[in-house]
Amino acid sequence: MHNTVPTHARRRRHGSKTHASRSSTLRGIGLTGLLLAPSIATAGEPLFTLPAPPFELPVLPPVSGSWTVMVGVGGEYKPDFEGANRAMLSPVPIFAIRRAGSTEQFRGPRDSSSIAVVDFGDLRAGPAAKFVSSRKASNYSELNGLGDISTTVELGGFIEYYPVDWFRTRGELRQGIGGHHGVVADLSADFIVPIIQRLTISAGPRFTWESTNATAPYFGIDAAQALASGLPAYDAKGGPHSVGAGAQVSYRINPQWEVHAYVEYERLLGDAANSPLVTLRGSPNQTTFGIGASYAFDFKIR
Amino acid sequence: MRSSASFTAVVLLALGASACATFETRETKLQAVKTVGIISAIGDEITFAKGGLTGLNNRSQSFPIAAWGLDDLIVQQATTALSGRFQVQPVSYNRTAFAAIKDSPIAPANLVRGDPFKKLVQAEVSPQGLDAYIVIARARSNFGASTRKLEGIGFVTYGTMMESYDQIHALYEIRVFDGKTFDVIEKMAAPPLDDGGQVAIAGPSRRIDGISPTDAGNPAQSERLHAAIADLVARSLSRTLSDMHLADVR
Repeated sequence: MHNTVPTHARRRRHGSKTHASRSSTLRGIGLTGLLLAPSIATAGEPLFTLPAPPFELPVLPPVSGSWTVMVGVGGEYKPDFEGANRAMLSPVPIFAIRRAGSTEQFRGPRDSSSIAVVDFGDLRAGPAAKFVSSRKASNYSELNGLGDISTTVELGGFIEYYPVDWFRTRGELRQGIGGHHGVVADLSADFIVPIIQRLTISAGPRFTWESTNATAPYFGIDAAQALASGLPAYDAKGGPHSVGAGAQVSYRINPQWEVHAYVEYERLLGDAANSPLVTLRGSPNQTTFGIGASYAFDFKIR
Repeated sequence: MRSSASFTAVVLLALGASACATFETRETKLQAVKTVGIISAIGDEITFAKGGLTGLNNRSQSFPIAAWGLDDLIVQQATTALSGRFQVQPVSYNRTAFAAIKDSPIAPANLVRGDPFKKLVQAEVSPQGLDAYIVIARARSNFGASTRKLEGIGFVTYGTMMESYDQIHALYEIRVFDGKTFDVIEKMAAPPLDDGGQVAIAGPSRRIDGISPTDAGNPAQSERLHAAIADLVARSLSRTLSDMHLADVR
């Protein structure tokens, strides 16, 4: 396990409001960092030094030493809800902390938050979690009469394998708690190509499978909802949920500043694609664009 | 509700008590240390690796460099740096046993087994009875944004579509063991230097040009590589000992 706590907030629709409860705080930190950025620290020089902690837990690695904090902000243009044919732009906070000298590990825009507790280098695995924001019928006219779906936390695990440094395969399996109680499996592959040392491009295919309990709350329409919404009743079953592809580019301007952009396309499949919500009021084509900028600075703990 | 509050209070008291106990470990115990022995086991081999855009066969290769005497150099320089504060005494130890210690790739296993050097310091170092033992052993780091692990002394080539970079690294951790309880008083991985290499590594590294490992045959015979590694170790050792407040040598 690394001494890295990534809370990077690039998310697909499901996780579009990831960290919503702390987003204002993080946004504040991010903006403060961005505003201060031009006037502070050069690479390798800690911006400030904190005193040693009054105690350390024996089972945890010591916190003394140099750390790098990354703060930033981005924007994500994504469908209003899964299956929608309209999209909106929303801000995304970026925050990560890691040991100085290390670089943030590659991660795809759709990756859940995760920690590798098993790490052979080319093979990594560990717990993963994703926050799925609530869907309020009152927010979008297409959802009138369909009722609200509360927030879901999906908990599970991930495994990823790098046969070579420039190719990653990753799988996630998560159980929903809250708005849905189904199982979601994500599979992805990414070719990660450094063009020059500062510029990296990655791209690859995506596939998602969802159980009936994960699909039905978002795409099923019962008799009462049919009456209230004007849509025909529909019994949505699980199965292959979407297939698509994604690409991202990141450019490190200097040791402090990095910018990135990404696009993720997925086409809904099976009962999700055939739901009247999608066929009559939405679209099976779901595209997300994102951009972001982050600033990194070091601090030291004595 | 009330039982929940009581439980919270008990937990806080327990944490506070353990905090006081460990606080004593970190600061007071170091102040009480007069005699120390230094153990170094990082420099018996160098690893050549490739990262970034590589061919399909990118397995790393290791070569023995015990003849460089890096561990003796480290003990000598650490002794000089620490002599102002401690009475450094020579110790003998089984270097191979210390060099063989590796972290488990399964993080919880590392937490459960505790510090792997503890038993070695007890069993493989003489004389016993010093106030503290300082163990300098190999550390690991990811190479840039990849998951490739680098360890100890090494030479890594990072390939991109347009260019490639050669970089050397010396990754090590310093632990201070209590000479009586053999608990770890202090532990720190050597941090990156200000003139670190092109690709980020969580430890001392720097770019190096003009050395081609594939041409060299036996890299241990490259005097330039030997000199560059020795310089990297020497500069980073001063900084790390200073960061640990063991020596003011910066």
